[in-house]
Amino acid sequence: MKSVSIDPANGAAGALFIAIGAVFAFQAFGLELGTTFRMGPGYFPLVLALILIFLGCIVLVQATRVQGEPIGAFAWRGMLLILPAPIIFGLTVRGLGFVPALFLAALIAAFASTRMRPLMAIVLAAAVTLFSTLVFIKALGLPFRLFGPWLGY
Amino acid sequence: MKKLVAVLAAGLSFAAVASVQAQTFPDRNITVVVPFAAGGPTDTVTRLVAEAMSKDLGQQVIVENVGGAGGTLGAGRVADADPDGYTLLLHHIGMATSATLYRKLSYDTLNAFDYIGLVTEVPMTLVARKDLEPTDLKSLVEYAKANKDTVTVANAGIGAASHLCGMMFMSAIDTSLVTVPYKGTGPAMTDLLGGQVDIMCDQTTNTTKQIQGGTIKAYAVTTPERLKVLPDVPTAAEGGLNNFDVSIWHGLYAPKGTPADVVDRLSKSLQVALADKNVIDRFAELGTIPSPAADATPAALKAKLEGEIARWKPVIEAAGQYAD
Amino acid sequence: MELFSNLALGLATAASPWNLLFCLIGVLLGTLVGVLPGIGATATIAMLLPITFQLEPVSSLIMLAGIYYGAQYGGSTTAILINMPGESSSAVTALDGYQMARRGKAGSALAIAALGSFFAGTVSTFLVALFAPPLTSIALQFGAAEYFSLMVVGLVSSIALAHGSIVKALGMVVLGLLLGLVGTDIYSGTPRFTFGIREYSDGLNFVAVAVGVFGIAEILRNLETEKTRELLMAKVGGLFPSREDLRAMIAPMLRGTAIGSALGILPGGGAILAAFASYTVEKRVSKTPDEFGRGAVAGVAGPESANNAGAQTSFIPMLTLGIPANPVMALMIGAMIIQGIVPGPNVATEQPALFWGIIASMWIGNLMLVILNLPLIGLWVKLLTVPYYVLFPIIMAFCSIGVYSVNGNAYDLYAVAFFGLIGYVLAKLRCEPAPLLLGFVLGPLLEENLRRAMIISRGDPSVFVTRPISAILLLLALAVLVVVFLPSVRKKRDEVFVEED
Repeated sequence: MKSVSIDPANGAAGALFIAIGAVFAFQAFGLELGTTFRMGPGYFPLVLALILIFLGCIVLVQATRVQGEPIGAFAWRGMLLILPAPIIFGLTVRGLGFVPALFLAALIAAFASTRMRPLMAIVLAAAVTLFSTLVFIKALGLPFRLFGPWLGY
Repeated sequence: MKKLVAVLAAGLSFAAVASVQAQTFPDRNITVVVPFAAGGPTDTVTRLVAEAMSKDLGQQVIVENVGGAGGTLGAGRVADADPDGYTLLLHHIGMATSATLYRKLSYDTLNAFDYIGLVTEVPMTLVARKDLEPTDLKSLVEYAKANKDTVTVANAGIGAASHLCGMMFMSAIDTSLVTVPYKGTGPAMTDLLGGQVDIMCDQTTNTTKQIQGGTIKAYAVTTPERLKVLPDVPTAAEGGLNNFDVSIWHGLYAPKGTPADVVDRLSKSLQVALADKNVIDRFAELGTIPSPAADATPAALKAKLEGEIARWKPVIEAAGQYAD
Repeated sequence: MELFSNLALGLATAASPWNLLFCLIGVLLGTLVGVLPGIGATATIAMLLPITFQLEPVSSLIMLAGIYYGAQYGGSTTAILINMPGESSSAVTALDGYQMARRGKAGSALAIAALGSFFAGTVSTFLVALFAPPLTSIALQFGAAEYFSLMVVGLVSSIALAHGSIVKALGMVVLGLLLGLVGTDIYSGTPRFTFGIREYSDGLNFVAVAVGVFGIAEILRNLETEKTRELLMAKVGGLFPSREDLRAMIAPMLRGTAIGSALGILPGGGAILAAFASYTVEKRVSKTPDEFGRGAVAGVAGPESANNAGAQTSFIPMLTLGIPANPVMALMIGAMIIQGIVPGPNVATEQPALFWGIIASMWIGNLMLVILNLPLIGLWVKLLTVPYYVLFPIIMAFCSIGVYSVNGNAYDLYAVAFFGLIGYVLAKLRCEPAPLLLGFVLGPLLEENLRRAMIISRGDPSVFVTRPISAILLLLALAVLVVVFLPSVRKKRDEVFVEED
């Protein structure tokens, strides 16, 4: 074994496939497997999970042979602020209501960019909220409450 | 003592609020949750009734589809909603069967709701691919018993009307046939039309036009009397099956704790809606009739729900299939 | 000639001023709502459905059909402009359409999509009118075994979706298949891979997965380079396709129309495959397969035509059998029932004006779309000059609303965030999202039909080869495998030792 160099992207991809395959395989074992001719709920997923693990191994092996481009920087700020936006909307839309929930979601997402200034973000979030309220609630009549019980409505 | 006074005061003020509520109720839009996707038979029934109720109540009655988990997500949503009469649930027989099909529910079926009334009882039809040999129900039962390993019964998934009715049919003829589940009525009906499966038992909403068009064969309806839209199809009792009685009844519910006069108002409004000509006509085309005013009442729905939970429990437990 | 009198009746119905107006309103509303990112055709129609209830039955259905085409077109627009497909078919459009947009050819891509759709719509409308009943009887020959074999063909073809490592693409397909299985097993009622969350018991929401792995992952990738790159779409080239582009789109458009029309007839999920299948075919016949994934005209024209043709012919099972081929058709049927028309095998004879009116309005709707959208292209493209940091909070807001409005399920929104993360990480690891999405839509169909075929055959696997259509499809899959896989493996093997893509 000389110094083994692993292509980071492919190495990680292989490892990820194996890990995800393992999770599904583990879960599938908890289900009834049945037989090939009378398949239970766990049969098909187990087969797929094993294939995924196998493919992951191939990718991993390939990663030791060929070097590709490096992975590059992650958009940490983006991940931290973009991904929570739909979650916050989901958590608050029934409690706070449509208007505040959407405003919050848009506001948080807006800060994902380093170029966004606070005032601009507030204006943007407010404009999006106003537009959406007019279009979805007033014009299309989606059955969401504008302001929810958490605000005393 | 102080506490008692407080409680009394709270109770009084609550009553006062409640009666004020009833006078002004409804002063904003009412949402009826349908625990199924838009476009299905329950959604259609709800939209027709909601439109008629809007006219009577003078406020929009909006339909919200909260589908998922055999209707239990939508039911759970309403169980948790404010009991102010502005969030209602229109659910079918699944309300009763999911109490047994799901061993863990987020709500207590019998204690989480106030009852407004029955909406309609959609009859079921026992249908088959058009080239299936038997010519009447009696010979179908014989045929099924003789070929129980090859006769296939389609259904639209666990908890669906066709699943319940299929179970009831097998239990009525005391024979277990090959069950073929589908995801929804559409694909199941397609395979029945294509002759890929043999039998299905489903609501008239889905089968009437196909029977009239001659693309599938009908052996029986599950009602005590023949249906006006399908006069040639005998009842199950005529064909010798006396214990085969299934209907997909729909009921309107409110969260537990809704003021009595609000429930009353909604119940009255439901009765008005069910007497609406448009509702009657549309229901007739679907092969069903609105519940009579005497059944569109809280008491009738409560009795129905309790009776149906008790009736289906052993059938489902005998089949041994749960949905969780 | 009966057909002509029927079509004349249809045109007379659809071309009445009121119906024309409702068709226009439908197309317009469908486009405007559908073009909002993250709001796909199903969500659009569900939102707009109540609007149609007050109208006459024919007008209401014509308007609804218009909304459907409009929404679909709108979905392609967002797929091209911001890599945000609202449904499975436009996911394929996003592959090359978005790349064209990034190269400053957004206008061309949109025009190609519009023209391809219009052509496919015209041809398939005639197909519907001419052959609806015989085609239906063919579709009914498809049982579980046939669908399983068809899905196998789809899976085999998916290899062409990849333009990097084939092994990784296969891994993504398998991952997609697994994700597609999340939810309740319909045969036993057992919840699978839901981690005890009942909100996922009907499976993961397609829009949530698609918006996550395509759209949000793309936003994150763009944020990564925000500091180094000035403007995402700095140059916006010509609005209309060049003469070469137009010439390059003819053959793919014809092939796409044929593929889409054929697959759309199958009520059991054939239309899903249309766009994917077309893409595969185009990539195989292309003289420059390397162009695919980098903005190939054929990669937009083919799938878009296939998609639209499939959408059109998927009306056939609904109109002739009264059976919904997809959630959109289920909504249409619901709307018909509320209007007092219960769709069934007799609609064509009982309600000829309605039946032929809808068919004629399909074509009129498509015509209106093209007339409406060609001028709008300029406007859509202008949207790209909006600074990205302003655009993406808006995108996030709309896709939150769109995903939530389908089922009122907050867990679908959590899934958006989760798949955004997964999609981004996988993209960083040079794994492509398109095969994953194909796997995701095929997974349940594949398993369901496999198990159903085995139940019906009482555990006899020979049904797959003894049933002629199924056997032919499996042979086709084998042929695809031989033609597609072998040469590329050989090529790959050479490449692997040089440098991996």
